[in-house]
Amino acid sequence: MEKRIVKKGIRVLLARLGLDAHWRGSIVVAHALRDAGMEVIYIGNQMPKEIVETAIQEDVDIIGLSSLSGNHMILAPEVVKRLREKGTQEIPVVLGGTVPPDDIPILKEAGISGIFGPGSSLKEIIQFISALGKK
Amino acid sequence: MKSKKGLFNPDSIQEIRNETKRWEKEVYPREKERLEVFETLSGIPIEAIYTPEDTAKMDYLRDLGFPGEEPFIRGVHPTMYRGRTWTQRQLAGYGPPEETNKRYKFLLKQGANGINGVFDYPTLRGYDSTDPEAYADAGRGGVAIDTIEDMRILLDGIPIDQVSSSMVTCQPIGNISVQSMYFANAEAHSIPFNKLTGTSQNDFLMETVVAIAPEVLPPKASFKLSCDAIEYCTKYVPRWNPVSFAGYNYREAGCTAIQEVAFVIANAIACSEELIRRGLDVDRFASRLSFFFSGHNDFFEEIAKYRAARRTWYRVMRERFGAKDPRSLALRFHVQTAGVALTAQQPLNNIARAAYHALSAVLGGAQSVHIDAYDEALCTPTELSSLTALRTQQVLQLETRVTHTIDPLGGSYFVESLTNQLEEKIVALLNEIEGMGGIVRAVEKGWIHKAISSEAYEYQKAIESGEMPIVGVNCYRIEDEKLPIELFQVPETLEIQRAKLERIKKERSSTNVQKASDAILRCCEKDGNLMEVVVEGVKAYVTEGEVTKVLKRYYGIWNPPLF
Repeated sequence: MEKRIVKKGIRVLLARLGLDAHWRGSIVVAHALRDAGMEVIYIGNQMPKEIVETAIQEDVDIIGLSSLSGNHMILAPEVVKRLREKGTQEIPVVLGGTVPPDDIPILKEAGISGIFGPGSSLKEIIQFISALGKK
Repeated sequence: MKSKKGLFNPDSIQEIRNETKRWEKEVYPREKERLEVFETLSGIPIEAIYTPEDTAKMDYLRDLGFPGEEPFIRGVHPTMYRGRTWTQRQLAGYGPPEETNKRYKFLLKQGANGINGVFDYPTLRGYDSTDPEAYADAGRGGVAIDTIEDMRILLDGIPIDQVSSSMVTCQPIGNISVQSMYFANAEAHSIPFNKLTGTSQNDFLMETVVAIAPEVLPPKASFKLSCDAIEYCTKYVPRWNPVSFAGYNYREAGCTAIQEVAFVIANAIACSEELIRRGLDVDRFASRLSFFFSGHNDFFEEIAKYRAARRTWYRVMRERFGAKDPRSLALRFHVQTAGVALTAQQPLNNIARAAYHALSAVLGGAQSVHIDAYDEALCTPTELSSLTALRTQQVLQLETRVTHTIDPLGGSYFVESLTNQLEEKIVALLNEIEGMGGIVRAVEKGWIHKAISSEAYEYQKAIESGEMPIVGVNCYRIEDEKLPIELFQVPETLEIQRAKLERIKKERSSTNVQKASDAILRCCEKDGNLMEVVVEGVKAYVTEGEVTKVLKRYYGIWNPPLF
């Protein structure tokens, strides 16, 4: 898996969940976070196990997940669950993509820190991640 | 070559030029302009007004001509929509094939003229539903297909010898199995291959660029699979369009209109060169290469884009490949309205958006159209949203009378000028790709990935700054909006697919499966046409995932430059 680390600052791991084929949202967010001075490790499509292992290896501050396929209700909580199993629940998990409003409370309950649906602005995402990363 | 004559008398042009200057100096500045910059979505400056001067250098017979004749810019058929209107081809696919089959029958009953099958993420990428990578995506974004039995269920009761099928197989790795299952299923129903009409996507950029994911087939291997399917269809399924160059998806990922057309044509050039190298005559396959474009927000630029694409393709086929058959020279295309332009906010607004997108496609001379459903920024379309999209097509086709004359914007000073400018930029980009060694090389280098991702970022920045207004998102928002629509729930898929796969694996002959898998591997080794052996393999109930494993074992995997 290819990794590219850019600049110093808050370290963010970005991954697309499962086999979702939508690239645009996550890559645009990757550009924006990098321009905001964060280090972005973009690993593309991955399953929860690989996402958690990479997050630990890379010692990231935040995990950003992207899903537009509808798999978020299965895979996003699984990422949180695996982090807890590894005792690294302090790494917050943020999710972006086509998340219907009814799913939001369930995902928050499952431990997802922030959810950004279609039409979210990059500014809100950057602010949210900066605030989380500084904690 | 026909004689070169300008559209207007030079004296008149001089007079118009003088008058334009006067008007620009004395009349226009009396009022203030609303914006600092007027430009198309791809950044071409737009003037306040266009006059005969902007088209004065054109030669009508050489550059425009007549529908059904060179350079095909005014339309690929002589009568266009006066003879036959475009095919209303609404996408459908979700869950297990049992469920999607019901939606196909519903849409056909409601007047759709063809089926347009979209496959779930595991199927597109060559996985079985039960693969450890795939379980969360089974039935999502399309229908799940694992074996030939699923194809039989998907098409049950649909007269595929009469109705044309579009198969949005996207990636060559998924296409080779799914397409093989389609043909093998037709054979099992005693339908001769020359009765089959339809299109499969089968675009190697979908595998190596657009779906950008780790561990895909290397670009050369993916490109080979794509060409194998084209060669197979050219020889055995003569009315099938074995590739649909997916400019739509490049655009969805971030491309501009110019890149969209240049990348599909560069891809088609590479395929044509490879097929000629394999000994096929250009006129045997070129008429079956088809194109897929996006209908995006910039109304006039989109119309000009379709027209420019037709003339560019004509020139490439004529000048570069020496094609002679008029059908090789005419670029035929399907349009889907832009998904990326839809909003999750105030979703009913999407009905209006998609209607404009479709209108531009029709004014641009599309052969078939899919209109997006209003809920697609949130979920897979419901029956109501799909029906509304189909009805939008029918309103456009039956009520507006835009079908009554051919290429109604031909001769518009603005549209012709924009068409010329787009063509010039498309050709320049084609030359740049050529300079890199062609599209396969440009993909291997990661150049295409970078080009698309930086455009996607620029687009988003323009929305953020408010420079690009999006109604309901960066203006006219409704705070704490309550969704006025029902969302679709994907039906249970994984367990249904698992049960079928387990039963099939017990019932099939393991000797035959082994023989078929070995034949695929041997075919890779001797660089033969893989589709010929995969068609035989799926008849022995080899699963899609099993085909993929053999291909990846031989060709290896590639990690595209992700960011």
